[in-house]
Amino acid sequence: MIAQRRSRLRSFRTLLADISINGAVAIGGVFMVIPFVWMITASFKTTTEIFRPATILPASLNLENYIRLFTQWPFAEWFVNSLLVAGSTTIAVLLFCSMAGFAFSKYRFRGRTPLFFGLLGSAMIPFPILVIPLFVIVSNLGWTNSLVALVVPFVAPAIGIFLMRQYMEYVPTELLDAPRIDGAGELRIYLQIVLPTVRPGLATLAIITFINSWNNFLWPLVVIRREASMTLPVGMANMLTAVSAGSARPYGPAMAAATLVSIPTIVVFLLVQRYYIAGIAEGAGK
Amino acid sequence: MTPYGFIAPAYLLFFTFMLGPAVFAIIISFFRWGGLRPPEFIGLANYERILGDEVFWISVRNTAIYSATSIFIVVPLALFLAVALNSPSLRFRNMWRAIYFAPIVTSTVAISQSFLMLFSREFGLINLTLARFGIASIDWLGSRTLAIIPVIVVIIWRWTGLTSIYFLAGLQGIPVELYDAAHVDGAGRFRSFWSITLPQLRPMSLFVSVIVLIGSLQIFDEPQVLTGGGPSNATRSVVQYLYLRGITQFRLGYGATIGFILFISIFVLSLVQMGAFRGKTRD
Repeated sequence: MIAQRRSRLRSFRTLLADISINGAVAIGGVFMVIPFVWMITASFKTTTEIFRPATILPASLNLENYIRLFTQWPFAEWFVNSLLVAGSTTIAVLLFCSMAGFAFSKYRFRGRTPLFFGLLGSAMIPFPILVIPLFVIVSNLGWTNSLVALVVPFVAPAIGIFLMRQYMEYVPTELLDAPRIDGAGELRIYLQIVLPTVRPGLATLAIITFINSWNNFLWPLVVIRREASMTLPVGMANMLTAVSAGSARPYGPAMAAATLVSIPTIVVFLLVQRYYIAGIAEGAGK
Repeated sequence: MTPYGFIAPAYLLFFTFMLGPAVFAIIISFFRWGGLRPPEFIGLANYERILGDEVFWISVRNTAIYSATSIFIVVPLALFLAVALNSPSLRFRNMWRAIYFAPIVTSTVAISQSFLMLFSREFGLINLTLARFGIASIDWLGSRTLAIIPVIVVIIWRWTGLTSIYFLAGLQGIPVELYDAAHVDGAGRFRSFWSITLPQLRPMSLFVSVIVLIGSLQIFDEPQVLTGGGPSNATRSVVQYLYLRGITQFRLGYGATIGFILFISIFVLSLVQMGAFRGKTRD
């Protein structure tokens, strides 16, 4: 009797726990979704609807904001600039980090340990301290308003080298020794054997790098002043701040831009979530 | 020779764009440098001035508020979120994961602009909702006392999902046998959570708190887009102040000084963390 009642009590408590977990996640989830929903629906609203929002949904799918975005602002240029910056940063990061990671995991050489820990220690240098000196350097190189300035300083991050080294530790040394006996050079071994084997690691690093570069705001804001050279985040921020006095802020086009900027990264993320989360967890676990 | 060839490009970049500039930043902080005049060595004058700079201390206070939010709200929320997302009784788990993780990959500028509209005095969803309950419209972004709230909301919204990934990794590292044993002993789920999950996640919680602390000390994007640091510096963070002085007003020496002070603060706090970790392993 008592045992039965106790087990019934327990199953009741389990049910209660199930409901509260699902309920809490759902309530929180609604809060998480609201800014996205608002962003997308506002992008289809007319200016009148935005300033008098009777409902969350727009009256009709009105594309005016998107048309204005592409005609009144150099949005297509910003998009291309962002693609160029994020794309070339990603390729260069993969190259330099995999090379260094390869050396640290597969060779014994003088200074290996201090060099590696020196690099790891540098991950502790916060970016804001570098803003002023990098600005001086970049100005002296004549890179103001140039996309080069947005790529070159960020192509050999310590975290990336560390991540690549971790993945390459799992590549068996025998795999490298066989072609060595056959007379293959080290560069060929790196390109033809090591790189294909650590493809998941490269994918993880690529996604993290691309998304971070795509969303980077502070540094492009420092370097880029000319409107046509802006990347998406800087251009978008500029849409709402560089408004002449008296005229209304262009919220509709800004939300259209926000939608177009966010959708690609979210879609990519949904497709490759696994790699991204593995990368973050890897960084945390070690 | 070969290994050096492989690491050479990375180190060349590392010295030119990281270590070199970090040292350069310290040197710049001893100069008055801006405009067309040549840099002038002024010793510690920038540091002396900053101690009496009221706006700097306001930005320190604001940043402390952002950090406190991150540690005392984001970290516990992320822990509960991770436990919930990991729970076998959660339905539609993949959908919820996608929803909570989406902010990680979304442009902060895009999302802050959406929040900017949500908090708008005249047409924002928040004031419209409050109006239904008879609450008069609130000037969230224009009020010196309230403007920090939207920034805090965006911080919580944006960082909770990312932080929970660390806890999810930590949860997966807890041996299942511990729960099985507790179950045999008649422990319920709340009991297991208190006496197994939380203690097992303690090292991870410490690690996460420090990562989050370091990140929050460098906050820039959210207040920059939402309020631009205003009204009258009420939301300006330390990095925003660095940007304002060093870049907008082109006072390179003063900006570099703010950067170096921030660096030292982060470094000291990291050392405190390492001490905490060492203390942790001893007991």
